[in-house]
Amino acid sequence: MIAKVLLFLWIAAALAAGFLWAPLVPGLGATTRVLYFHIPAAWITVVALGWSMVHSVLYLRSRRLEHDDHAAAAAELGLLFCVVATVSGAMWAKAVWHSYWNWDPRETSIFFLLLIYAAYLALRSSIENDERRARLSAVYSAIAFVTVPFLIFVVPRIYFSLHPDTIINPSGKIEMDPRIRLGFFAMLIGFTGLFAWILRLKVRLVRIERRTAERATA
Amino acid sequence: MPTRGSSFTVAVWAILRKEWRTEWRTRHGLNASLLFALTTLTAVSFAVGRLGDRTDLMGGLLWIVLLFGSLASLSHAFVREVEGRTLTFLRLVATPAAIGFGKLLFNLAFVLLLELVTVPMFLVLMGGPPPDWPPFLGLLALGGLALASTSTLVGAIVSQTRGRAALFAGVSLPLLLPVMAATVSGTRAQWQHGSIRSEVELLAGFTAAVLGASVLLYDHLWND
Amino acid sequence: MSSGEAAPGPAASRGAAPGRVHAAAAGAVAEPVGVPPRTGPDRTVAAGAPAFRIRASSLAHRYAPGRGLEAIDFAIASPGLIAVTGPNGSGKSTLLRIVAGLLEPSAGRCEVEIDGALLPPAARRARCGFAAPELAFYDELTVGENLEFAAEASGAVDAVARVDAALDRVGLPGRRRDRVAALSSGMKQRLRLAFAILHAPPLLLLDEPESHLDTDGREVLTQLLATQRASGLVLLATNDEREWRRADQRIELHGRGLGDPA
Repeated sequence: MIAKVLLFLWIAAALAAGFLWAPLVPGLGATTRVLYFHIPAAWITVVALGWSMVHSVLYLRSRRLEHDDHAAAAAELGLLFCVVATVSGAMWAKAVWHSYWNWDPRETSIFFLLLIYAAYLALRSSIENDERRARLSAVYSAIAFVTVPFLIFVVPRIYFSLHPDTIINPSGKIEMDPRIRLGFFAMLIGFTGLFAWILRLKVRLVRIERRTAERATA
Repeated sequence: MPTRGSSFTVAVWAILRKEWRTEWRTRHGLNASLLFALTTLTAVSFAVGRLGDRTDLMGGLLWIVLLFGSLASLSHAFVREVEGRTLTFLRLVATPAAIGFGKLLFNLAFVLLLELVTVPMFLVLMGGPPPDWPPFLGLLALGGLALASTSTLVGAIVSQTRGRAALFAGVSLPLLLPVMAATVSGTRAQWQHGSIRSEVELLAGFTAAVLGASVLLYDHLWND
Repeated sequence: MSSGEAAPGPAASRGAAPGRVHAAAAGAVAEPVGVPPRTGPDRTVAAGAPAFRIRASSLAHRYAPGRGLEAIDFAIASPGLIAVTGPNGSGKSTLLRIVAGLLEPSAGRCEVEIDGALLPPAARRARCGFAAPELAFYDELTVGENLEFAAEASGAVDAVARVDAALDRVGLPGRRRDRVAALSSGMKQRLRLAFAILHAPPLLLLDEPESHLDTDGREVLTQLLATQRASGLVLLATNDEREWRRADQRIELHGRGLGDPA
């Protein structure tokens, strides 16, 4: 309970700092503010995917359904954050480059992740038996894990890029005004907390549903 | 029981021969895929006309036609086993990895056959300059291998669901996007006499990664 | 994949009693490996028969909430004919599939040891023959092609000879060139039996082998069982009392049948 309240206060404070206190980036103007949402959302998309994939592999090795619960819950959340990242990115693109979508490598990557999430969830929804669903979606998750690096890292070498040098670039240097940086990292942490909290809730929910189903037929 | 050779290759070879034999007796998959590719080709040609020197577009269209032809039939290899209920029989005579690789080789032969029929027709219908054959054929071969390896694994997954063929296209597409990006870009490059080196590297790396993962993953596919 | 030790199995958590093993006739429940097989009143055992040890500990499998094979323990340590009986839905087929290595149980473990070699699930198919109602063959291929494929894929060099021998034993020699689609259900059942004995396995797992068989077919089955139980092991899942009356040992599965009230 306390943690929930603290989380909300934290995010509220980070937002306030970002909108009221931190300056704007010179080239981006008012659109700077999107980075408090767009990049944390993209970050969580990747974290959620990683969490889901790790638990898929853990499921294959241990055959314990708890891992599948995590994989599925993380994927659903990841899809949500991915939509947020994609849409906020498109809005930003329209404001700055006057075009919603360009198949720029970053745009392509986030869209690709959207497709992976959607395919994974579509696959899950087509299997009723829970053991089979866990197993097959874990195998799919594993093969998706293998192909993801190719689209995220290798394809950009083939196409040129419009995207501003992002935080996630290989040189790793973060060139941001310290006040922006503070708000930004605070939002990053806030989003991560939000993800972790909702994930726990979802996993608990699935377990309760399963136990209820078992008791109902016992 | 007396055995010969590596049991894996023996099993893969036996499965490959069996696949061809069963396919040849009915020709369902073959017909479906060729028909689909030709229909798509016709539609594209009708809509776009002769492309002449638009070599930037030709690669994309060619690979769309090949992709659709493949998606129409590469799931067939496993769906047929599930619908004929022969999966138990297959699992009792060969290891999961041998089943996977036997089907993979079959799907690869299938894709190459599809390319053999579709590509000449495409080139004739679209007009345009002749391709630079060595890189062009190399891309067709490597791209075909990447398509086949990914599709076989996804086909094995999807054959056990209720969606089956309908789900197959949607579920395999995200995984095939890197392949499409590389083949389209490479095909364009060879028409414009550029280097296809990075595309070939991507395709080779991708295929190696998928095949490597497959070796580990096929064992988990069937458990009933 | 290894099956882990049983946690409180699905049966225990639902408060139902785990399945019990009933040993009928002269079978003992547990014997150490290496003890020579005993001869009972109903059978003689051939010399040189392999040593068997199949053991299930808290073996259970859940295929849906509240449905499945309930926890069972048993041990088999000698050649012979073991019957697996129980109401519909109690998991007879599931048990056979677990022993064959086709299915990993969701709880408990099942160990299969032949001639002192512990066989992990992936290695079992080479040493056991399996026949069940859901086993189907390729309709477009002939009887001979199906069996030759099976023999070749399993690595046999004398596939044609093996197939001939198996077809003779089940009484289908004239059917070699017939497509499977053209066979009657009785002949398909004999084909399943031919497949099961194709590589002369020491362990036979038969799920309702008597189904669809006519009088001649039953005679074939009786012969097969007699030969196999003398020097090998047969696990026979059946609802037919005539079949399990002849068994040396019986594993009885309890559990909610599909028709039982919840």
